[in-house]
Parts: sequence; structure tokens; C-alpha cells
Amino acid sequence: MNETKRKAIDALPPLRRRQVLSGLAGLATVASIGGLPAMAQANGENILRVRANANPSSLDPATGGSGSDHTFLYNHYDTLIDWEPDTLAPKPGLAAEWSFPEPKTLVLKLRDGVTFHDGSACDAEAVKFNLDRNRTAQISNIKQDLASVETVEVTDPLTVTLRLSAPDTALPLILSDRAGMMVSPTALGNDPETNVDREPVGTGPWSFVSWTDGEKVVGTKFDAHWRDGVPGTDGIEMFVMPEESTGLRAVQSGQVHIAYQLSERQKILVEKIPNLGIVSGPTLYIHQLYVNAARGALQDVRVRRALSLSVDRNAFVAATQANVGEAAYMNLPKAHWAYSEAAAELTTYDVDEAKRLMEEAGYGDGLELDLRGYPDQGSVQRQEVLLAQWSKIGVRGRFQNAPVAENSGRFFGEEKQGDLLMSAWTGRPDPSLTYALLYSENSFYNPGRVAPPEGFADAIQRSRETADQDARKVALGEVQQMVMQAQLTIPLAVRYEVDAVTSEVQDFNANLLGKPKFNDVKLG
Amino acid sequence: MLTRRLLQAIPVLLLATFSVFMLLKLLPGDVAITLAGENATVERIEEIRRLKGLDQPLIVQYGQWVMGAIQGDLSESLLSGEPVSTTLARVFPNTLFIVLYAVTLSVAVGVPLGILAASRAGGLGDKLVMVLTSVGVALPNFWIAMIFVVIFALNRAWFPATGFVSPFEDPLAALWYATLPAVALAASGMAEVGRQLRSSLVETLHSQHFRTLHAKGLPFRSILWKHGLRNVSVNLLTVISLLISRTLAATVVVEVVFAIPGMGNTIVNATLQRDFPVVQGAVLVMVLTVITVNLVTDILYSILDPRIAQQ
Repeated sequence: MNETKRKAIDALPPLRRRQVLSGLAGLATVASIGGLPAMAQANGENILRVRANANPSSLDPATGGSGSDHTFLYNHYDTLIDWEPDTLAPKPGLAAEWSFPEPKTLVLKLRDGVTFHDGSACDAEAVKFNLDRNRTAQISNIKQDLASVETVEVTDPLTVTLRLSAPDTALPLILSDRAGMMVSPTALGNDPETNVDREPVGTGPWSFVSWTDGEKVVGTKFDAHWRDGVPGTDGIEMFVMPEESTGLRAVQSGQVHIAYQLSERQKILVEKIPNLGIVSGPTLYIHQLYVNAARGALQDVRVRRALSLSVDRNAFVAATQANVGEAAYMNLPKAHWAYSEAAAELTTYDVDEAKRLMEEAGYGDGLELDLRGYPDQGSVQRQEVLLAQWSKIGVRGRFQNAPVAENSGRFFGEEKQGDLLMSAWTGRPDPSLTYALLYSENSFYNPGRVAPPEGFADAIQRSRETADQDARKVALGEVQQMVMQAQLTIPLAVRYEVDAVTSEVQDFNANLLGKPKFNDVKLG
Repeated sequence: MLTRRLLQAIPVLLLATFSVFMLLKLLPGDVAITLAGENATVERIEEIRRLKGLDQPLIVQYGQWVMGAIQGDLSESLLSGEPVSTTLARVFPNTLFIVLYAVTLSVAVGVPLGILAASRAGGLGDKLVMVLTSVGVALPNFWIAMIFVVIFALNRAWFPATGFVSPFEDPLAALWYATLPAVALAASGMAEVGRQLRSSLVETLHSQHFRTLHAKGLPFRSILWKHGLRNVSVNLLTVISLLISRTLAATVVVEVVFAIPGMGNTIVNATLQRDFPVVQGAVLVMVLTVITVNLVTDILYSILDPRIAQQ
């Protein structure tokens, strides 16, 4: 045996040399291939590369169903009305101006000379075709958004008149969303029941080139865009990378220029990476508790108020969002034009008042609640912080976690399981929509289908009867005070946009909607 | 044998696709709600359910899918509307490329390691190889992948951190993009091939047959290459065959880490979105691949060892 081993060792050197040589050759090959990145990246192209966090559900604004589609749609479509990024106040888009000559009529004056990517004119006829398609076509997912529109009339080649069933000044901001994205009627063959799901043709800054499912969506500069200097790059490539860490690695290695909608905790990490910058700001996305006010102790408004008052929201943000974000005292962030200080005061941390309310409601000895939530790491962390804060007023419970679809279905749907659901509200361009969807008696998001406070519907309607923003703010302030007083939801924290960008990126800003637009971005 | 094996594959395919179909249906969540959009009414959700045939009994839905699949129609993605066959034709070659690259690396590194260890059984080289291969087997692929990305993509910038280039578009760039994922996938494969080969070779080299060869005066190199490796080739083939199937499954995680548009990524995303036609199609292709690998392995067995064919 030892002899065999000795001979084996004696016999090996030639083989080992060969192995070493082939290994070295392999290493040299790898090293030479490894030299490629510098060549590949120094190509001087003016193409904006973006990491997107989800594959779009559709590139037709009328048929898509996902909130994450907007970031893709904005590249290929303009909206009739635009918004100010910092406040979401409406501003001109494809419609240069708009007015309500009387509460039930909205008149849109369109820009002259705007064309679709296919060269056809974006005129009043095209707008009428789109609005009618959005509100009546069987394939449309946004019929509800335009429910108040009775007829759409072409007044002249650049004027469209919308006759409404009831006053609705929320419409301009609704037209800044999917419902206001104009698709070329020519591309649809003038048939409202067809779609451009996979080949969008709009008036947006980049015309569509290709969509490889789950991989990337490519656009090229639309030279005839109506805004001077838009877009800022010759092309755009949206790379679909659902995994957040993968997206961050892609921007860190310079493969993409922007990775948007990272979690707040990633901000600390991004700050430590020398070649990256951060674009950050508040959004309409609010972490909140949905309350089933038709169940058990939660029928008592004092208990609901106590649950809200006992939350130290600043500590909550510090613990769960690494201090990136802000406390949510109502269903809007502070930067929003309709934010109400008076409503916010109703939910400011006051644990003594919370204890008093619990005592008064007969739960001074404590209360056990049936809590529901989601199983991801961030949600579990928020749940733990909340339970720790509620322990001060004797509220106990254990979160039963399940995926979003399952627990949302059980909580809001027929089964009506659970007292509270820790989830989020992603926001709507017009706040009256947010309040109507969250608190109307028959709304899906009102799990107990409880009637809202008296005067709620009137105040919502008043907010829609005037186009004056200050007057709207007053009416919406009343709505916000009513619902926070009744505490039919418990807002917790405002999520901040956290985008990592390379040093080449210029003129990229966060917006309050939390859905980035890249129209103005330039590469330096 | 070929006909028998192909016939045996039919119930396997039916069982696999039916199990996956039922599991997907058992999962909570409703794709109709996703499709209906953010402000959907109950009526709209019902309308979509009807339009997509989701209101049909489960067995009818599965039956319709099977009938379509037999005729080569794997249906369309519920979410994007893209034909499933188009999706799979695009992503499967990417996964196959990564898998073949990883298996080639596993064999290219694992075989020399196994030979080295076996020919120095009990010695320092053997011990070193055993330690290295133990580490290779123990470390999870995704962890190795992330460490590689940090070292070779982010710190050294030798390789891309994410992405993929098709070998049909640019073979050199394809190799460059696929190197880190393939090495991450191959780490455990190299270790496994090395360990299995070492173990088989040690056993073979210590047999009486080889002692006789040695006594006849044959040099060790000749004993090893001409007789030893041939004797263990069937074992090695089994290991490689299992390795291909396992590497195929492991791509699910590694493709997510490297954002590779392959089968793994497609299955994960489609499952999360309850896009069952895509999951069904992907599972069908995966099962077919495994069956094909097993079939080819069986054929190769009979070539390497004619006694198997006679049996």
C-alpha cells in the first residue's frame, strides 16, 4: 500500500504540471474577459438606465392594474393635467388650461401642435376618443375614475368639454393619472376595445422600442415632443429587478444610473457608498392600521382614539424607518397642499389621555385584540414596535401574518376577519378620492362598512364643487378632522422615496406621489 | 428502452403539472383582483374572472390547459398577455446556458480535485481537498453569489454585478456576464464531483484488480487514466446527471440575485403574481429537461458499461 502511494506520488508531477498550466490558462482567460467591463462601460451613450422594481402589468394606461406601472407609463405618455412634484397641486399638461364655467362642466383647452409618436395629432377628437374609451370600454380598468363624466364633447379642434353628473373638481387631478394619459387612436385602429398593452403609442418623451417581459423596457427619444429640452437623454432602458439588494448592486456597480423606491433602511447603506447620491422626499404612501369599527371593542370610538393616541409616531419612524420619513398624523403627508394641522393635532401622542379613554370605555384592565398583518421583515418590525407602545395602555395581541393578498382578502372581503390590519395606503392624486375610498360606507377599504361621521359626504362633495384650492383645502380639512376624530384608520408613518443615483445623474427629483418621472433627467 | 422511457414520462408530466396547478390554486390571493387594478369594483373583478375563464371549475381549467399543451399551445400569461411559449423560448436558453456553464466548471475543477485527492489518499493534498470540498458543499449558493458580487463586481469591477447577455447575441459578453453566477452555482458541484470521484477512485485503486495491474508493472499514470477512471465513469456520470438537475433547481435563487431573465426568475415572479399559465409552462419545461437528462444518462450508461444494456 505504501509502495503504491509512493509510486503514485512519483507518477504525479507531469499530471500536476499540466493541471497547473491549464489552471493558469483558465485564469488568464477569465482575467482577459474580466477586462471587458471598462470597455463596455466607456461607450459614451446618452442612454438613461433605470432599475425598476416590477415588470409592468400593461403599457396601456386603460388596461393596466398595478401602481408600479406609472413609472413606465410616464416615459411614453403625457397626461392632460400634470402636477407639481412637491405638493401635487395641478398644473398644465397636454391641456394648457382648464376651467369649470359652472360646477358640472369642465372645459379643457389643449396645446396646439402636439403629436403622438405615430405622427397623428393629439387634438380634441383624440382626447374625446380616449376619455370615452377610459370610461366606457369593456377592457377599461379605470371606468370608476371617470364615473362622474356624463358626456365628452368636442367644442373645437383644441377644446374638449366634459359634462358631469355632479360637481367634481377632483377631475383635474384624476386626469393627471391613468385616465388622463392619451393613447393614439390611430394605434388603436379607432377601436376602443383594442389595446396597446405591449406597444404603447402616446405623446410622451420617449417612444416605445421594445419590452422584454421581466427583463427590460426600452424607449428612444421622441424628437417632436412638445416640451423643449425633454427628454434629457437619447433613450431610456428600464431594467426589471424585483430584488431590492440586486437593484442596489446594479446602481453601485454603475450598470444602471438610478435605482428607485429602495427601502428607508437602505438609505444609510447608500450614504456610505462613495460614488452614489440619494434622492429622497415624502410620498403619499402611508403605513397605517385599518380598523374594523364594527367589531367588538373597536365599535367604541374611545378605544379607537386611545389606540391612536398611544402611538409615539416619531419613535415609530426612528425604530422602523431608520428615521427616514415622518410621522403620519392623518392620511396625507405634511408637504401636501391639503394637509390639515387641526386634524393632525387629534392624533398627537398623548398616552395619559389614551389611558383615560381606555378606563372610561371599561378597558382599564387591558384589552386583547385580533391583529392581522404581513410576514415580511419590515412589517414584523413595525408590529413589534407598535405592540411595545400599546403595552403602555394594556392593549395586547399577536399579529397573525399572511401574504398581502390573503390577509387583505380576509380582512376587507366577505370573511371580515381581524380587528385591525397593519397595511398601507398608497395614495391618490386627489385627496377627495383618498377619503371617499377609505371611509365611504360601501367602500372596499372600510372593512366594517360602518357609516362615516355625519356631514362626511357633504364635506367631500363641497371639496369637489369648487376649483379654488384654498376653498378645497378648507372642505377637505373638515373631512380629515371628522375621520381622525372617529379614528376609522390609524395612520402611523409616511414612507419616503429613497432613490440611489450615480454621480452622472442630473435634474432628477423625488415627487410626492412616490412614482418617479425621468423626463427631465440628464446624464452629466 | 427509448419508447418505454418516453411512455413512463407521460404520467410523470401529468402528475407534476397537476400538482403544481392545484398548489397554485390553493395559494391565497386572486389574480383577478390584481388584473382589475387599484380602484376596482366587485363587478369589474367578476367580469375579469369571467373573461379569463377563472370562474370555471378547477378540473375544467386544468383540462383546458392540458388540451392546449398537447396541441403546442401553452396559453398566455394572465398578466402580460404574452404567449407562454414565447416567454419560455426566451428565458429557457438563458438558464440552460448558465446551467451548462456551471456543470462544465464543476466537472473541470471537480475531476482534477478528485484525482488529486484519490492519488494522495490520506496525504496533505487529500486533506486539503477534503476541507475545501466540505466548505463548497456546506456554503449556500446565494451566499457565495453575494460574496462574489462584492469582491469581483463591486470592489474589483472585473465582472458585472447583475444582468445577462444571450450567447446568441454576443458569446464573449455572455460568458463574461454568466461567469459569477456560474461559479456561484458550481461551487457545490465542484465539491460534490471531487468528493464522489475521490471516494470511488480510492475504492477502485485499492481493489485486487488494480493491485494485479500494478504487479504487472503498469505505471500508475496508466492505471489511473486507462483503468481507474474508466471504472468509475458510471459513478461520475450519475453524479453529473444529478448535478444538472440540482443546478437547474438552484438557478431559482441565483437568477434572482443576479437579475438573470431565466426560468428561475420567471417562476418566482409568476408564482408571486399567481400567473398560473406561466408557472405551468415553466414546470412542464423543467420536468421535460430532467426527464431528458435522465434518458441521456441511461443511454450513456449502456455505452460506458455494455453490461447495463444487456441487463
